[in-house]
Order: sequence, then C-alpha cells, then structure tokens
Amino acid sequence: MHFEGSHVLAMQREELWEILMDPDILARVTPGIKRLELIDGTRYQAVSEIKMGPVNGAFKGNLEILDQNQPESFSLKIKMNSRIGNVSALGHINLKALNPHGTEISFAGDAKLSGTLARTGQRVLTGVANSMTKQFFKALEKEIAGPGEERKKGLFSRFRKKDKGEPDGS
Amino acid sequence: MGKFIGQSIKRVEDKRFTTGHGRYTDDIVLPNMTYAQIIRSPYAHARINSVDTKAAAAHPGVVAIFTGKDIAEAGINGVPCGWQVDFKNGDTMKEPPHPLLVADKVRHVGDAVAIVIAETREAAKDAAELVEVDYEELPAVTDPYKAVQDGAPLVHDEAPKNMAYDWELGDKEKTDAAMASAHHITTLEFVNQRLVPNAIEPRSAIGDYDATNDKYTLYTTSQNPHLTRLLMCAFVLGLPEHKVRVVAPDVGGGFGSKIFHYIEEALVTWCSQKIGRPVKWTAERSESFMTDAHGRDHVTKAEMGFDKDGKIVGLRINTWANLGAYLSTFSTCVPTWLHGTLLQGLYTTPAIHIDLVAAFTHTTPVDAYRGAGRPEATYLLERLVETGARELGMDPAELRLKNFIPPFDGVNQPGYQTQVALQYDSGNYEQVLKKALEIVDYDNFRKEQAEARKQGKLLGIGISTYIEACGIAPSAVVGALGARAGLYESAQVRIQPTGKVSVYTGSHSHGQGHETTFAQVVADKLGIALEDVEIVHGDSEAVAFGMGTYGSRSLAVGGSAIVKSLDKVIEKGAKIAAHKLEAAVDDLEFANGAWTVKGTDKSIAFGDIALTAYVPHDYPEGLEPGLDFSSFYDPANFTYPFGAHIAVVEVDKETGKVTLKRFVAVDDVGNVINPMIVEGQIHGGLAQGIGQALFEEAIYDEDGQLVNGTYMDYTMPRADDLPSFETDRTVTPCPHNPLGVKGAGEAGTIGSTPAVVNAVIDALSEYGVKDIRMPLTPQRVWQAMQNGKQS
Repeated sequence: MHFEGSHVLAMQREELWEILMDPDILARVTPGIKRLELIDGTRYQAVSEIKMGPVNGAFKGNLEILDQNQPESFSLKIKMNSRIGNVSALGHINLKALNPHGTEISFAGDAKLSGTLARTGQRVLTGVANSMTKQFFKALEKEIAGPGEERKKGLFSRFRKKDKGEPDGS
Repeated sequence: MGKFIGQSIKRVEDKRFTTGHGRYTDDIVLPNMTYAQIIRSPYAHARINSVDTKAAAAHPGVVAIFTGKDIAEAGINGVPCGWQVDFKNGDTMKEPPHPLLVADKVRHVGDAVAIVIAETREAAKDAAELVEVDYEELPAVTDPYKAVQDGAPLVHDEAPKNMAYDWELGDKEKTDAAMASAHHITTLEFVNQRLVPNAIEPRSAIGDYDATNDKYTLYTTSQNPHLTRLLMCAFVLGLPEHKVRVVAPDVGGGFGSKIFHYIEEALVTWCSQKIGRPVKWTAERSESFMTDAHGRDHVTKAEMGFDKDGKIVGLRINTWANLGAYLSTFSTCVPTWLHGTLLQGLYTTPAIHIDLVAAFTHTTPVDAYRGAGRPEATYLLERLVETGARELGMDPAELRLKNFIPPFDGVNQPGYQTQVALQYDSGNYEQVLKKALEIVDYDNFRKEQAEARKQGKLLGIGISTYIEACGIAPSAVVGALGARAGLYESAQVRIQPTGKVSVYTGSHSHGQGHETTFAQVVADKLGIALEDVEIVHGDSEAVAFGMGTYGSRSLAVGGSAIVKSLDKVIEKGAKIAAHKLEAAVDDLEFANGAWTVKGTDKSIAFGDIALTAYVPHDYPEGLEPGLDFSSFYDPANFTYPFGAHIAVVEVDKETGKVTLKRFVAVDDVGNVINPMIVEGQIHGGLAQGIGQALFEEAIYDEDGQLVNGTYMDYTMPRADDLPSFETDRTVTPCPHNPLGVKGAGEAGTIGSTPAVVNAVIDALSEYGVKDIRMPLTPQRVWQAMQNGKQS
C-alpha cells in the first residue's frame, strides 16, 4: 500500500526536527504507540496496539531512522510483528521551511501487510492510515502548542503520563 | 419411469441432516484425542531462517511440536500429483515436491511450517502463537501470465520461468489458415478469475494410530477416501494399504475441493503414530480460504473466426493457467484435458487450436472446482459467440442455431467426433436452445427491452449454451492422457438373507443424495421397497474400492457399477428360482420383485430366493450359496450433458448494480432418476455460476497476500441476489451406460456464468461496452458505462 500526505505546522523547521527525533514525544503523539525505546542512535524498539477494521493486535518491532539529512529529510523503516500478521513499511519524510514559523512536513512511502492483517484489514487500511495520520498531526500540534518548557525537560520527567494516542491535555 | 426411478422421492439422508444428526469428521471425538494447530506462513514467498518452538513447547497442555525439519529428517515424501501432463517437446511436467511441512521456503500464504499438538484446541492455538518463525521475505508473483515472463520471481528453482508445462491441442496449421481466411475475427482478452470453493463444512482430519494392531485410521472430509488412502500409503507415508483405513463420514459440500489428498491428512496420520494418540485438525474458515484448493484462474486470449454468413470457421485460444504454488492432485488435467477438449462446444467449428502454459505462482494451489475446466471453456466460447454476433450484426440465438451440430442419438447416428479429441455420445442441441427461447419468450423480450429503454431502463438478455464431459472416465482413455489412476467405479450388492439389501459403493456423497438416488435404482431393479435398501459409502474398510465423487460421475459410473452387480444378483436368483419352481431359467421372467414362469401364475418372490440363497437346503446342484456380487464398471466413453441458459438482467443506470430478473435453464442430463434432486443440483450450480459472474473473486495483492480471505470481504451469492429459477429439461439418453444417465452436478455452474455476463453486456449495448472483467460488480459496470459514454 502506498501512502503519502503533507501537513503544515506552526513551528520552525529545526525545532520540528528535534521533536521528531525525540522518541518520548513521538511515543506520545503517534497513535497506537505504547512504548518507544531508543536502542542506539537511530534505532528504536516499539510496542504498539492497533485496531484495523475487524482485527486488532499488539505489535512489537523496530523503527529505524535512515538517510538523516538534518533538518530537511529522513527515512523511516518500520518492521512490526504481531500474532495477527506483520507490517513492514518504508517512508520518506521531508521538512520544508515555509517561513521562520511555519514548516511543511510531507511524507510518502509504502507499507506491506501480511497474515490475518492482510486478509481482513486491507479493505479498511487506507481509511485507518488516513485517520491515524490525522491523529498524529493533531497530537503534534497540541504538543507544539503545549508548554514549551515541559517539552524541554529531561526524558524521565516526561515519562508517559497519559495513555498512548491521547497525549497530554486531552 | 419405474415405481421409483423418475420419481421425486424425498431425500432419505435429509432426516439426519435437517435434525442435526449428520455425523461429520469434526463431530468425531475419540478417547485420548489431541488437537492440532498448524503454523502457516503469513508470507507468499519467504526463506525460513529459523523456527523456534521452545516457548511453545513449554506452554501448558502441549503434547508435541513438529516442524518441516522433522518431516524432512523422517524422509517423508510430499503429496503427489495424480495426473501427468508433458511439455510440448515431450519433457515430463515439472513436479516439485509439496512437503507436509516446509523446511526451507514458504511458497504461498498459508503454506504449512509447523504443527502444534495439544490436549485441547485452545492450548494448541495459544501455543501456536508462541512459535517464532524468522522469515526473510522474498518477492512474489501471483499472476500466471506475469509468472512466465523473464525475471519473474521463481516459485521453484527446478521450474525455470515458473512453467509446470506447456501444452497444445488441435490442428494449429489448419486453424491459422482458417483464421487467415475468415471474413471476421472476434477477439476477447480476459481473466477467468480465481474462486474459493467455500464448502460449508471446513476440512478436517483425524489420525488414529492403533499400536496394538499396528493399524492406522484416518477420518477425513473427502469426496474420495479410497484415492486418499492409495496416495497417502503408496506415495507419502509408505504405509501398507491393508493396515490403513480411511473413513469419510458425512461430508458437508466439496465442489471439488475435497477430491484431493491434502498434506493435513498425511500429517495427522503420521503425528498420531509419533505420539501414540489420535490427532484432530479442523480448519478454521480463514484456513479454508488459504488452503482449500482454489478454482479457475485463467488468463486467456480468444479468437473466433466467422465467414460472411456467420458460420464459425476457426477458434484459436491462448491461455495461461495458474496452478498455484504446488501441483494439487488433479490440477494438471483441469486446464488441459478438461478444458481444451471442450472447445468444440455445441458448434461445428472445423478448425480449433489451443496453446496453453501452466504456471506456478506464489498462491494457493488451484485444482478442480465445480465444472473444472469446462466452465472456462464454455465461458470463452459463449462470450466469443455473443460478441461475434454483435459485431456481425446478427441475432445471437440465430448465430448459435446456425452453427449447432445437428442432432444425433449415438445409436442410429454415430457419436460426433470433435476437433479436440473427444467423441460426443448423443445430443440434440437445437432442442434445448429453442425450448429456453420459448420459455423466456425471446421475441417478445426484445420489444420489452426497447420499451424499457425509452423509459430509461437498461434491460439485457444473455444466452449461453454448453456441453460438458462427465461420467469421468474411461480408464484407457484417461491413462493415455496422463492419468495416474483408472477412473472406473466399484459396487457391491449384498442381499441379506431376509431380502434386505446393502449396497457398497465407491462413489461418495458430499451432498448429492446418493442414499436416495442409488436406492431408487436398486429398489426398482429388484422390485423391493425403498427402505429395504441401504447405501454404504465413504469407508475403505466397508467398500472394496472406489474412485469417489467428482466430475458428475457418481450415477453414470458408480450407478452403472451397481446395475452390473444387480444384474448378477438377478441372474443368479433366476437359477435358484428355476430350481424352486421346477422350470427352466429361460422360461422365467423377473418383474415386480418376483420370478414368474412365463404365461403362468407360478412365481416366487425375491425375499424367498434371498432366504434360499443363504439357507440352501433345497438348492440347485453345483451353485454356490449366497447372493452377494461385486462389480467394477469402466465407462466406454465420457457422458456429455448439454443445455441452454438464458439470463435477463436490469442494470441500474446510476449505480451499475446488476439485478438478475430471470434465469431460464434448460438442461439435458440424459435420463433422470430423481427429478427433484437433479433440480436441486441445477439450482445450486446456477447459484455458483452466477456467483462467479457477479460476486466472487479471490484477490491477491502484489505481495501475494490474499486480501479478501473472509466472508466480510469475499462476496458469496445470497438468496436475495437470485431470482426464482425457471428450469426445464429435455432428455437425450446416454447410449453407453445402462441407466442412460449423463450427470447433473456441474451443469448449472458451467452454463450460467457466460449467460449473465452476456446479458449485462447486452443491457449496456448503447454504451458500446464489449467486455467487463468478472465479477461484474456495480463499480466495474458503472466504470464501463462511464468509459463507454466518453468514447
């Protein structure tokens, strides 16, 4: 499945880059993510729970950031396994500075599903992906609008307060 | 018509089926039984790097786990293919092994990797989730045409270009010349889409090893228990056949998918011996979608040449047939000898040639599905004829009548020799079409259609005529064509001392009503009551041998074997009767259940003769006691049912939704033993054929994932999608079997699909639509209308 889209955020490009590279924030804003841990410089281990049409499951796997070209672009390689099937995806993310306070983030990539997930979820996949993207940007916007100070605090103090998919303040 | 033959007797088996007393494989619970869950590949094509069963083995209730490595180390062969088709150059087809569990590489979604056996079904399922298989995903190919192009991912290293074989039939030179001289050539390129069989009862198998007697019993959902035993013993597990019993109890539908010997059958049998306990496996619906052999899946380019009067002068076909990842039992003969040989249809086409490539792909194996090859042949012929008529500006009914083979009964006129190997037994093709046209009131319909158009309604009518080769099959003929088995049938008729009759047949009902139809034949022939006859089938220990039920063969072949045994019973009974009546055998006649001395009132009843045969106190000298005969019947030819189907549809202008308003089916299946059962079979067949035209398709994405493997996504025809069918018959008896029957199981499926598509195209005639890919979903029909409007 091919996915692509774009969104404009009221934030400076460099700042947005930092947010996107922060696993803790990402874990908060990405729908379905339960846990995201940095393994080394560019690789993360992730646990997520996703409902796709009639099936849902807990996924475990890796996220890897490739081709980092700070602050312009990077690629994201995802491989997640679950008892209902596996997901592998490769996406390219571009950040374009529109003005000092606005950045357009665009993404494009392909995802592959297997197993029960593919058999039962394919039909609703695009819909699920679209709604998850919307949730992601909405949460990101909230994150940006939220208290900047807290965002800058250390990792530990910001340890997941709320349930995943519903970042703080909701 | 006899007392029973020709009567719509209610099915005796329905009492148990409709009251919940049917006994299916999964209903069987054996003492100490274990339950198996099979780990299946989520990928279409992947290398197996490792299989870690440690966590699963530690799960409570787990009894044993076996992987592909265990099977390979045990030296177990894969399941074999039952029909050899050679390449055009004479090389043997490519026949890569289909292991019970794969060790190195998975080749379709659902390919079996490991089996977890546990105390309960739930424990087996839970533990199966703990088996960690490390796959390295590889590129896949799912389309038979793309599979044989350079650079396509290989399914098996030993099959270059993914070719299982290529094949041709007919006279190429003559056909090319005929096409070159044709006044008009109609060309269609289309996909005959892949279908999932969807038997209501999922497959199930129980292996039960008895160590004290060193005997194996396999209970399985099979249309073909004896063949399963033969293949499993001789080719897979290397077991002595007399130590193996295969039982197929009640079987809840198959449509072909339960003919074949599946890996699970051999797997549970082997596992049972390994663990010393019975092992049961039952497919869940999603496993059925992934692992029951699928049907159809042809990519075809078809050309039909006509002269200026609309006479067909030639037919040229190129087909790419998808066999899936492995060769299923009869997969190889379906696109060849059950498809290419039917391309004569009902027409006098003087030159025919088919060129075919059979391809391996990373998909579920494809094999016979109700009709098997014949629906594909009928579809291409009837779409070509219909399209040709439109292009030539002729009426499609008239064009067909102009090209039909003239009537022949196979007795006074010889059978019809086709251009493609077969010799039709008997037929009267004009008659069925004329009858169908009359029922639908064809001439009036065209007026109605024109009137409806004025009101903005899109009405269409579509005709299809078909012939099929059934009563499978004469052993010598199929042997010459590559079959690795004979296709005769056996029957034993055992007269009990009290005159009751047990019949042991090698045919095996999976819904056809054999217990009724066969009993009607027996009761009539012996002049006894229907309830005095018991039909026994589906148990290799009870029935001597059998080739099962498929290809509309049970009555034509299995029924004929019963008649042969009945004849022997009557012949021997006459000797006993002659002795008792003190008359010569030649002076006796047998009728209404008694032997009578001709011209007198001296007679003796069947029951008395039965008793005498077993209590031979006053008995002919030199005659053996007992009244029990076995017979094997090998048919002289295939049987050739035929018919004409007409669909009337309305297409919604706004949405493209097709509503089937009428469906007329006039079928000639030879003599009919039970009209109600025949009609029921026709109805079911029509629903399936219409299902292909309008609803059904197994869809693989480019990675080889089956994306509609559930009933939420795979559309089955439902009652409210179908009109009340208008069925009728003509009767042209089969001249070469004792009952004169031809077979009715597949007729409905074969004839109906092109009738519906032809009707939709007719409805869209003002849009200039030539073809729409099946199934004709509202979206596709709507799109075709939009494209048509634009052009």
